[in-house]
Amino acid sequence: MKKIIAILTVALLALSFAGCGKKESKVPVIGISQYGEHASLDNCREGFLEGLKEAGLEENKDFTIDYQNASFDNSTATQIAQNFSSKNVALMCAIATPSATACFAAAEDKDIPVVFNAITDPKEANLTEGNITGVSDKLPVDPQLELIRKIQPDAKTIGIIYTTSEPNSVSAIAEYKEKADKYGFEIVEIGVADQASVTQAADTLINKKVDCITNLTDNNVVGVLSAILEKTNAAKIPVYGSEIEQVKKGCVASAGIDYIELGKMAGKQAAQILKGEKKASDMPYETVTEYSTYVNSDAVAAMGLTVPSDISDKAIECK
Amino acid sequence: MLDLIISTLTQGFIYAMLSFGIYITYKILDFPDLTVDGSFPLGAAVTAVLLVKGVNPYLTLLAAVAVGAVAGFVTGFIHVRLRVRDLLAGIITMTALFSINLQIAGSNLSVARSVETIFTAAPTMAVLGSLTLIQRKLIVSLIIMIVCKILLDLYFKTKNGFLLKAVGDNNALVTTLAKDMGRMKIIGLSLSNALVALSGSVVCHEQRSFSSMMGTGQMVFGLAAVIIGTTLFKRMSFVKGTTAVIAGSVVYKACIQIAISLGLPANLLKLITAVLFLAILVLGNIEKGSVKKSVRA
Amino acid sequence: MLELKNISKIYNPGSVTEMCLFDDFNFTVNDGDFVSVIGSNGSGKTSMLNIICGSIPINGGEVLINGKCINRKKDFERYANIGRVYQNPAMGSCPNMTILENMSLADNKGKPFGLSFALNKKRFDFYREQLSALGLGLEDKLHVKMGALSGGQRQAVSLLMATLTPIDFLILDEHTAALDPKTAEIIMELTNKIVTEKRLTAIMVTHNLRYAVEYGSRLIMMDKGQIILDKQGEEKKSASIDDILEIFNRISIECGN
Repeated sequence: MKKIIAILTVALLALSFAGCGKKESKVPVIGISQYGEHASLDNCREGFLEGLKEAGLEENKDFTIDYQNASFDNSTATQIAQNFSSKNVALMCAIATPSATACFAAAEDKDIPVVFNAITDPKEANLTEGNITGVSDKLPVDPQLELIRKIQPDAKTIGIIYTTSEPNSVSAIAEYKEKADKYGFEIVEIGVADQASVTQAADTLINKKVDCITNLTDNNVVGVLSAILEKTNAAKIPVYGSEIEQVKKGCVASAGIDYIELGKMAGKQAAQILKGEKKASDMPYETVTEYSTYVNSDAVAAMGLTVPSDISDKAIECK
Repeated sequence: MLDLIISTLTQGFIYAMLSFGIYITYKILDFPDLTVDGSFPLGAAVTAVLLVKGVNPYLTLLAAVAVGAVAGFVTGFIHVRLRVRDLLAGIITMTALFSINLQIAGSNLSVARSVETIFTAAPTMAVLGSLTLIQRKLIVSLIIMIVCKILLDLYFKTKNGFLLKAVGDNNALVTTLAKDMGRMKIIGLSLSNALVALSGSVVCHEQRSFSSMMGTGQMVFGLAAVIIGTTLFKRMSFVKGTTAVIAGSVVYKACIQIAISLGLPANLLKLITAVLFLAILVLGNIEKGSVKKSVRA
Repeated sequence: MLELKNISKIYNPGSVTEMCLFDDFNFTVNDGDFVSVIGSNGSGKTSMLNIICGSIPINGGEVLINGKCINRKKDFERYANIGRVYQNPAMGSCPNMTILENMSLADNKGKPFGLSFALNKKRFDFYREQLSALGLGLEDKLHVKMGALSGGQRQAVSLLMATLTPIDFLILDEHTAALDPKTAEIIMELTNKIVTEKRLTAIMVTHNLRYAVEYGSRLIMMDKGQIILDKQGEEKKSASIDDILEIFNRISIECGN
């Protein structure tokens, strides 16, 4: 029994020691809670730090960073948020929805401002009312459709694979279907339940002879992108990405979100809050208005396509 | 600092209910039940929908218990009556629940701050209104958890509870007692998943959200909590299994919180958590050894 | 009365390993009989017990208790009237529960296992009395877990548990085989005492020819799914180990053992 008490005491002491260690500094702490390691989410964080810098704040002088990631585990995200909350950090930066939800809940009666990042629909997630603001990574559907039309003037059908359980994907599909008409496209969508069925869905799309495929930010689909590209390359069907990382992997082009830019916007919001210029509760969340075009000219050439010069001039080459 | 201990204890208590469930299936019934990864979010999904619809927050707890029991019953039925292997029966229900949870909640669902939860509703405020939200969360979770513990401890003292223990201990005996072992397994699984769903429900109240992914890894968590708890108290037969499980759950959550608080590179979090577990299990074993020695001396 | 009528049992039907054990097997046990069953391995002794208890399905025939066919009853339903002690002493009780808890479980056989408290203080003296009759000092170890007892002690408690409530038949499945000779002797004595005192109808499978000859009111020998020897009454009393051993050796040699 004594040993047990000893273990528990040691655990609690370690906890208090670890908890107090950081509290001494007078510099405000920004707690960054990222849902997991993932190229786009990493870019969000990087951009966030750049945004702070651009707003004139210097790390270790004006603020310090406590960065944690939850390894895609919701209950760990909860504990990270509680950790930040109990340390009374000056601001929480939450990257991706589960982390934002956890931070917002942990800050409920503490009034710690939360700046979220990479959330498609903050209103749906109830992250708009309260001491909270941030940036949304809603897909730029119009520019993407326009881009496809310009690269493939004769294309009629666009195939999309999506996970039926992912609300972001479901709402994106609805938007694609609504707007496709305007550009003379027809959307052929295939819903899957899990990652294992994604490549089968790709086979089905190839069988249906779609003119091209476009991606959402669907994690299941993006996760097996290489396998999809292998099949579509063999069938000579171009695949359009939804952001820069996918074009780097071999998609032909994308009118997509630059998550670094998105992060910068969030960083600037955070700077305003830290400087005391504005309160998070008074700042509406922002959506990206500027989209960049990314082109992978190797992939374009392999498909026997050409990119019109008005696009290629502005486009960012990704290989 | 005190806040951090309170929050960690709160998490430990909330997840102790899930661990009770796994204690029943894994430790008592000897049934590796994977339904947990589905019934935990099921409790949260039902709770989120009911909260959004304005149902009394306390009633949502009961609703979660009921649907959790149904989920456990389904796994039991598939295993016992349809003769599907235990592991597979759980996987089938868990897989089906993933879709069912989304059907119930529509999609990932969050509950606005204006909606009252068990931590903010009038009856709670009337008693604990002077406390901060974090403190209220601790007290309310503790009360719910203790009620579960007491009821479970009482159940294990009943004839039915004895029979349930016998199923895991020696099912041949249950048959010679002229009792249907399958029926007891179904009862045990229902009870277990009712507790798991209750835990999911409280998490939903606490986080104000349901996410279809929130069940991932909960079975592993529960197993770890049960094993840590029972290892720590192995040599103390007077400590009830449920008490050990609570300790295991709190220790697990404390390990994660320590790993977070150490401020080491974020990607090492899981590694540090693993090392802490190992340390605790080894410490537990050392104690076992030293008691043996002292008995001999 | 227990009757096995025209039983047929085929293992792995339709496959290359198909093996017909019983073909038109008949056996009757009268109330009050204490039958010892001997026979070489594979002769069908344990299969016969399992057929009676419903642990394995049969391909034809009927199992009757007091003239009523129980073919359709599941194993656990049949145990309402049957007590069973297994070869493995661990099979008769719950290792992680105390003697007291195990006795309470056994004591409740035939009654509903509801939400009333399992331990009834009023019964403790009765359990102690029963345990002290075993003469192993277990009445002072009520709160000891079964798993901490020796094989012989466990088997003694198993025997007690199997016969604690009224039953029609007691099935003893080589219940002394896993014990050392001295302990086996004690358990056999106890078995005889309990069967005689409680006037039970019992079927005991054993490999010990001496037990088969010394105990019980009837002796049968099985070989290849058939009863080749059935001695009861005076015939049984006068049987000697040597006679039985001789027959046993003869069938074993025929088998090529």
